[in-house]
Amino acid sequence: MNFEIFVMNGFGIYVWSSFAFTFLVCLFLFLRTKKTLKKLEKEFVKEAHNLSEDRLKEVKKQKIAKEILISHSRS
Amino acid sequence: MIKFLNPSYVFKISGKLLNIFKTILIPLVIIGLVFSLFLSPEDYIQGDSVRIMYIHVPAAWISLFSFAAISFFCILNFLFKLKNVTLIYKSLAPIGLTFNIVAVVTGSLWGQPTWGTWWAWDARLTSMLVLMFFYIAFIFSYKFVSNPDRSIKACTLISVLGLINIVIIKYSVEWWSTLHQPASISLTKETTVHFSMLIPLGLMVFALFMYVAVIFLMKYRIETIRIKKKGIKNYEL
Repeated sequence: MNFEIFVMNGFGIYVWSSFAFTFLVCLFLFLRTKKTLKKLEKEFVKEAHNLSEDRLKEVKKQKIAKEILISHSRS
Repeated sequence: MIKFLNPSYVFKISGKLLNIFKTILIPLVIIGLVFSLFLSPEDYIQGDSVRIMYIHVPAAWISLFSFAAISFFCILNFLFKLKNVTLIYKSLAPIGLTFNIVAVVTGSLWGQPTWGTWWAWDARLTSMLVLMFFYIAFIFSYKFVSNPDRSIKACTLISVLGLINIVIIKYSVEWWSTLHQPASISLTKETTVHFSMLIPLGLMVFALFMYVAVIFLMKYRIETIRIKKKGIKNYEL
C-alpha cells in the first residue's frame, strides 16, 4: 500500500485533519438539522391530528400545512 | 419576484429542490475530494499543504457570502417588513457561522506548516475572527430578543456593522501588511492559480455550495414549520 498518499511529504497530518474536521462538522450539522426537521414534522402532524375534524379540515386547506402532512406521510 | 416571496410557494419548491440537491451532493463531494486529495498536483512552494486550500477557500467564501446575504435580507426586512425574509436570514446564519469556524480552523492548520504558527493577530485572521463574533451576536439577537421589533432592529444593526467588517476582510490584505497572502482569484484581475488547481477548487466550491443549499432548505422548512405549529396551537384554543 502506498503510504505516501497519507503522509503527503509530512503535510498529511495537517491536510487530513483539515478535511476530517470539515467532514465531521458538516456531518454533525446535517444530522442535527435533519433530526430537528423530522421531529418538528412529527410534532406538527401529531398536533394536527389532535384537532377536531372541522378544524383539521381548515388546517388542511392551508397550502403549507397540507405540504407538511404530505411530506411526513411520504417519509 | 413576488412569487418567490410567497411562503407557501417557497415551501413547496423547497421540498422538490431538497430532493434534487441531496441526490447531486454525494457524487459531487466524492469527485471533489478525489481531485483535491489525489489528482491535483502539489504546489511548488507549499507542497501538499496547498490541498487545505480546497476546503479553506470555499468555507471562507461561504461565510462571507452568507453574511453579505444576511445583511441584504435584514435591510430588506427592516424597510419592508417581509415575514418570509426573516425565515431566510434565520436559516442562513447558523450555516455561515459553521463555515466561518471551518475557515478559521483550516486556516490555522494551513498556517502551522506554511508560516510556522497556528495563529497570528494579523488583519485578515483577526477580521475573520471578528466575523465569528458578529455571527454569534446575530444569532443571539433573534434567539433571545423576544420582542419582534427589537429583534429586527438588533439584527439589522449587527448585520450592517458586520457588513463593514466584510469590506475590511476583503481589503485587509491590501490595506495592511499581513501574513495572509493576497487574493489569488479575482473577478476583475487575472487569476494566479494554475488550471490544474482551479478544477478541484471549482469542484469543491460547487460541492460545498450544494451542501449549503441542502442545509439552508432544511432549516427554512424548520423555521416555517415552527411558525405553522404556533398557528395550530391557536386553533386548539
